[in-house]
Amino acid sequence: MVRSLWTGATGMIAQQLNVDNISNNLANVNTTGYKAEVMEFKSLLYQTIQTRTTTANGANKPIGAEVGLGVRNSSITSIFTDGNLLETPGEANFALNGRGFFGIRGADGNTYYTRNGNFVFAVGSEGITLETTDGLPVLDSEGEPIVLEDDDIVTSKITVGKDGTLYYPDDRNIPQSLDITIGLWQFNNPAGLSKEGDSLYAVTDASGEEMNEAENENLTKTKLIQGYLEGSNVQIADEMVNLIVAQRAYEMNSKVITTSDEMLQQANQLKR
Amino acid sequence: MLRGLYTAYTGMLNEQYRMDIMSNNLANADTTGFKKEGSTSQAYSEVMAVKIKDVTENPNTPKRLGKMSLGVKIGETYTDFSQGSLRDTGNTYDIAIGGDGFFNIEFTSKSGETSTKYTRAGSFTLTKDGYLVTKDGDYVLGENGRIQLSTTAGSTVFNESGDIFQDGDLVASLKITEFEDTNYLTHYGETMWDAKEGAVSQDAENFKIRQGYLEMSNASVVKEMVNMITISRQYEANQKMLTTFDESLEKSMTLNRVSG
Repeated sequence: MVRSLWTGATGMIAQQLNVDNISNNLANVNTTGYKAEVMEFKSLLYQTIQTRTTTANGANKPIGAEVGLGVRNSSITSIFTDGNLLETPGEANFALNGRGFFGIRGADGNTYYTRNGNFVFAVGSEGITLETTDGLPVLDSEGEPIVLEDDDIVTSKITVGKDGTLYYPDDRNIPQSLDITIGLWQFNNPAGLSKEGDSLYAVTDASGEEMNEAENENLTKTKLIQGYLEGSNVQIADEMVNLIVAQRAYEMNSKVITTSDEMLQQANQLKR
Repeated sequence: MLRGLYTAYTGMLNEQYRMDIMSNNLANADTTGFKKEGSTSQAYSEVMAVKIKDVTENPNTPKRLGKMSLGVKIGETYTDFSQGSLRDTGNTYDIAIGGDGFFNIEFTSKSGETSTKYTRAGSFTLTKDGYLVTKDGDYVLGENGRIQLSTTAGSTVFNESGDIFQDGDLVASLKITEFEDTNYLTHYGETMWDAKEGAVSQDAENFKIRQGYLEMSNASVVKEMVNMITISRQYEANQKMLTTFDESLEKSMTLNRVSG
């Protein structure tokens, strides 16, 4: 009936989704390795309501009078800035400083990537395995699960260098390399990764192929920090401001609808 | 019947159009690269009012009373291309233009026709083959056509003039176009514009490309809310005019009964 009614409705729907997204960010404010997501919008189609238009001084304009028909959500993009480092006591807790991701072998055999370095040394069928807290093996720089064949290793004595290499102290307490390096991968466009839940990401066409830091010379190496976890990069203040903006925008669009409704009511009252 | 009845009607219709145009600004208050739209109202062309059949004067000479205008219509809609605020996203392919100009987008319609569209929304991404595209998959154009980037490069940097460097090597340059007269730009939708025949374009000069930022909508919600109040009240006033004319008509129709 009235365009502005529907335009207001598209605005409300878009802002509703925006609030959904903000609430997910706020819910994950303490999630290890979580990356904040932002909503993007696009305008909908335009309609010409009057073909002949003139400027204030009477000159003809090349285009007619156009009216836009609202808004839609175009994408939700993750922001891959580093989160805060949180000191934790676990020897298998790692934080990443840089663009790299850990590789994880999923239950379905595919490789997934994560920034969440909250791992444990668990005794698996083949030996002591570095796993996520969900029991998925962490991959080394060759893409294979990290398994320590020597069962006598005391896992609390394992140290990890900044490049991800595992060290174990010998008899004289001098750390010796175990020839295993925790694998790190980078993406040309990390915002293009698809989110698989449980803080895992999967490769897509948009993200580009994974690039192994150990093999690609061009990459700036990511620093791995043992004994720390990367916190969420959600900024509560930012999200609260976003929430206020979204709520007010929602409110204003609802005002558009009530105003359009009032106008329709007045039109109805014309006939007594 | 009564002229004023139709004048009030054009007033209501015009306010409704203004409401349609205004509501789009509020709906897009958060849209990347959106430019606010407004409209002007114009009076109908003036007509000469003439008195006829007045027996108090010479009945054969129509007397001119003066000019009057019988309504209002949309004069024009315009787009305000002023700079929107920049939001920091930190993403490699989020590009904002500070200053004048538009990104060139190669757009292929459903029927397979390819045309160049212009946009200020710079939230781009890469395809599997490394082409720089919008989030809807339309190619972003550079100085030499489509922009293909290496998907395995360690770093991708856009400098202020739109040159793209990967691992320090210049690989492509964004094409930024400005228009002599933005009145020749027609809205395509999807935050893109079409250049109408007669548009004069050239490579933009006064701009700075900012990587890791997005340009937000330049609509001012406070102004739009005030507009909305005036629109709804003017609509109401015109509606009151119409009912008043209706009442006068009613009176004239019941005259017979009153005198009888």
